[in-house]
Amino acid sequence: MIAALIALAIIAVGTGAVSIPPLDVLQAVRGMGEEGVVSIVQNLRLPRVILAALIGAALGMSGGALQGTLRNGLAEPYLLGVSGGAAVGAVIAFGTGAISNGVIAISAFAGATAAVMLALLVARAAGSGGRGDPRTLLMAGVVIGAFANAVIMIALANAPPNTIRGALWWMMGSVADTSWPGVGWLAAYVILGGAALIYWAREIDILALGEESAAALGVDVESAARRIYLLSALLAAATVAAAGLIGFVGLIVPHIVRAAGIRHHRPLLLASALVGATLVTGADLVARTVRPPGELPLGAVTAILGVPFFLAQLRRIA
Amino acid sequence: MFSRRAAVAILIAFAACTRSDAPPSRESDDFGDAIASGTAPVRIVSLNPATTDLLFALGVGQRMVGRTHWDLYPDSAKAVTDLGTGLRPNIEAVLGVKPDLVVLYASQDNRNAARQLRAAGVNTISLKIDHIADFHRAARLLGRIVGDSARGAAVSDSVARTIELVRAATEKLPKRRVFWHIWDAPLITIAAGSYMTELITIAGGENIYSEMPEPSPTVSIEDVLKRNPEYIISGPEGAIKIRSDPRWSAAPAVKAGRVLVADTTLVGRPSVRLGEAAASLAELLHPGVLR
Repeated sequence: MIAALIALAIIAVGTGAVSIPPLDVLQAVRGMGEEGVVSIVQNLRLPRVILAALIGAALGMSGGALQGTLRNGLAEPYLLGVSGGAAVGAVIAFGTGAISNGVIAISAFAGATAAVMLALLVARAAGSGGRGDPRTLLMAGVVIGAFANAVIMIALANAPPNTIRGALWWMMGSVADTSWPGVGWLAAYVILGGAALIYWAREIDILALGEESAAALGVDVESAARRIYLLSALLAAATVAAAGLIGFVGLIVPHIVRAAGIRHHRPLLLASALVGATLVTGADLVARTVRPPGELPLGAVTAILGVPFFLAQLRRIA
Repeated sequence: MFSRRAAVAILIAFAACTRSDAPPSRESDDFGDAIASGTAPVRIVSLNPATTDLLFALGVGQRMVGRTHWDLYPDSAKAVTDLGTGLRPNIEAVLGVKPDLVVLYASQDNRNAARQLRAAGVNTISLKIDHIADFHRAARLLGRIVGDSARGAAVSDSVARTIELVRAATEKLPKRRVFWHIWDAPLITIAAGSYMTELITIAGGENIYSEMPEPSPTVSIEDVLKRNPEYIISGPEGAIKIRSDPRWSAAPAVKAGRVLVADTTLVGRPSVRLGEAAASLAELLHPGVLR
C-alpha cells in the first residue's frame, strides 16, 4: 500500500499540462534539472500532491475513529457540523471580499470549530444525566449542519457572481491553490492529530463494543468519546480549511479497510490513512487531467472513483 | 389653406422620417420577445451596468428610476434607486418604482423575470451584451426606443471611431500573447465569448485562450504555464497576488515583470467607454503607441 501510494505520487507529480518523466520528477524534487520543470514540480505539483495525500489520510482516520466511537457506519466527519460550519466561515470570508487563501482557511477552520463545539454543547445539554448518547451527538451535528446550509444560502442569494463562483468552487473541494505553508500547517495537524488518535486507538476499540461494556472495562466513556470526537472533528476541520469540502472519503474509506478484514482501530486508522491518501491523490490526478484546460471539482471525483470500488466491496462490508 | 397643406406636408415628411427609422414589422430582443415600439419611456429601469452607462450617454439618465447594485458609472447613476443584483431581480421591487421600460441582461437567470414583467404590462427588453457588436446594436436600439435615434447612432459611431484609431495604431505591431487573469480561485480567464478578447485583439494582442468559445472559462494554472503568455493582465488585487504567489513564479511573464494592471472600471463593462478601454489596453501592451 505504501509503495502504491509513493508510485502514484510520482506519477501524479509527473502528469499534467506539462508532462515530466519519473526520473526528471525525482531530480526536480531535489532542485536539479531544467528551471521551468523544477519550478512546476516544486511550486505547483509537489505541494498539491502532498496536500491531497494529507487530506485523504486525515479524512480516512477521522472517519475511522468516528465510526468506531459512535458505533455507526454512517458517521463521517462532515456529518458532525464540520463541513457546514467551515462553509459558513469560508462564505463569510468570500463575502467580505477576502481573496487571500490564508484568510479563507482561518475563517473556515474557525467556523468548523465553532460548529463542532456547538454540537458538543447541544448534545451535552440534551444528553440524559451528563452521558452524551452518541445518537444525540449525531443529531446535533446534522441539525447544526442544516442550519449552516441555510446561512450559506442566505449569504449567497444576493452575492456578486464571482463570489458565488468562488464559494461554490470552494465547496466542491480543490487542492489547486496549494502553497507550501498550507501543506506545512496541514502536515502538522495530521501528524499530531493522527498520532493522538492512534495513541487512543485502544479506547476506540473498547468504545466500539458499546457503552456498557466500555464502562465495565473501566473506560470513562463520556470523556473518551468526547476526546476522540473532538480530535476527529478538528482533523476534518483542518482539511476543510486547506482544500474545501471533499466528501465521501471519510465515510467510505474506513469501510473499505474493514472489508479487508482489519478490525482493531490502530491498524484500521493507519490503513484508512493510506487508503484515503491514495484515493485523494488519484482523484486529484484525474480532476486536473481529464478535461484540460479546466479542472473538475475534486470532491466529486473522489466520489465517482470511490463509489464503484465501494459497491464492489459491498457484499464483504455487509 | 396653404399653411395647412404645408403643415400636413411637414407632418408626412416627419412621419416618413421616423418611419424609415422605425423597426421592421417585428423586431425581437435576445429572448425572442417582440420589442414594442410606442411612445418614448419616461421611467426606465436598467438592470445591467452596461445599459445603465449607455442610457446615461443617451442623455436619458434623469428618466432612470432603477439600476443594479453594481451600476456605479457614470457617477450620477449612483443617485438612481438600487434594485439589487440584476440577475433574478425582485419583480415586486422593480414594479414598485413604476417603470414603463425595463432593460434586462438576457441571461437564462432573467428569463422568468422578463416573462413576469411583460405579463405585468411593462415594456421589457432583454439584451445580451457580450461582444462589441452587441453594444453597437444596443446603442442604436435603445437610442431609437428612448426617442433619440441620432444620439444612439452618435454614441455607437464615436465608440467605433476610437476603436478604429486604436486598431490602426497597433495593426502593424507584433501581437502580444496575453493571459487575462479575472479571478484566482477558481482560476478564471476570458475567452472568445467575451468582448474583452476582442479588446485584446484591437489593442495589438492575442488572447491565449481565444479558441475557447465560453465568455469566462475556468482554467488550470499549469495550462496557463504551458501556453506561456508573454503578458498577464489583471486587476490591481489580482496583480498583487500573482506577483507574490510562488505558483506563478514559474511563468516567464511574471519573472520578467510583465504583469500588467488593467483599469477595471474601464474594461469591466462593454459600454460607452469601450473605445477608451481598447486605448488603455493598447497603452499597456505597446506603451506609447497612441502618442
